[in-house]
Amino acid sequence: MIKKILVVDDSPISIKIIKSCIPKDAGYELFDAADGQMAVEKYKEIKPDLTFMDLTMPVMNGFQALEEIIKFDPKAIITILTADVQIKAVAKAHELGAFSVLKKPPSKEAIIAAIKEADDALATRG
Amino acid sequence: MSNNDNVKYLITSAETDLLQEIMNIAFGRAASDLAEFIDIFVILSVPQIKLLQAYDLPTYINNEIMDYDRDRVSVVEQSFWGKFKGNAFLVFPSGTGKRMISLFDGRDEFFEQDPSHELEKETFLEIGNILIGACIGKLAELLGDVTTYSPPRVLVEKSLHHLYENLLDPDSMAIVLKTVFELNNKNISGYMFVLTKQESFAWLKNALHKFLEQYD
Repeated sequence: MIKKILVVDDSPISIKIIKSCIPKDAGYELFDAADGQMAVEKYKEIKPDLTFMDLTMPVMNGFQALEEIIKFDPKAIITILTADVQIKAVAKAHELGAFSVLKKPPSKEAIIAAIKEADDALATRG
Repeated sequence: MSNNDNVKYLITSAETDLLQEIMNIAFGRAASDLAEFIDIFVILSVPQIKLLQAYDLPTYINNEIMDYDRDRVSVVEQSFWGKFKGNAFLVFPSGTGKRMISLFDGRDEFFEQDPSHELEKETFLEIGNILIGACIGKLAELLGDVTTYSPPRVLVEKSLHHLYENLLDPDSMAIVLKTVFELNNKNISGYMFVLTKQESFAWLKNALHKFLEQYD
């Protein structure tokens, strides 16, 4: 079951928007990181059950962070949440191990559906 | 009141952050349209946004593009109308047009035979139309507006003074979106400027707040 959710984005307003889409009464612990490098460090520290990650970020972009995290934890559930909706970018994210890809701006329904999908995947893994 | 204070008076830092995120989404959509049009991969960088009064824009651009030859830049301009109305500009350094054309046919030698830059103009018109149309269109859509556009105009390998003298309205406000993008490993960088009038800023502030309300 999903307990910890990490939100990675270089835009503070974007982090705020994504967090506002996550149901408050479900008791999730929310964490955030402002770039890919911080995301990798935070991931290793807290081992979140689900990560929402932007692609275009300073210091380390989302593709590199995704690769690093999957290397550390091949079962990591990472949903890419991005403005870069090029077919090739989406395909690359999947190749690198992204669980799913959502377009920005997110809707509450899309975020809730992504959490449920991640929950189902965790349950299947046992 | 200084020029910067005028801008701060018009829009808060929180509104600027949200505008930056929305412009980021809009430019991402524009890049996607461009990638589909010429079957390439556009590597996007983190865009930066700045708000200025238009009469401060020449100084800003001159400082920003110190690496460019200021006497040889290419500019695509397009006007748009809606509740949010103004002009959008793409500014590219010298040589960009040739690199863009080679994305289509892979050859460079053709340009020796194109001294009037006709092919470059056509390429800038197409690419400018896609980037500006998709970016402004998505921005308007996210903020609940509908826009119409004039045909784009283009200046190829001209001095920046042409832009300042012929295309800039000094009384406008400028939203400067600085972004660098790489097309199929050809490093093509550019700036996008959106000029708008003070009355559009009032609508913009309101629209930004409405956008955030859906996340309350």
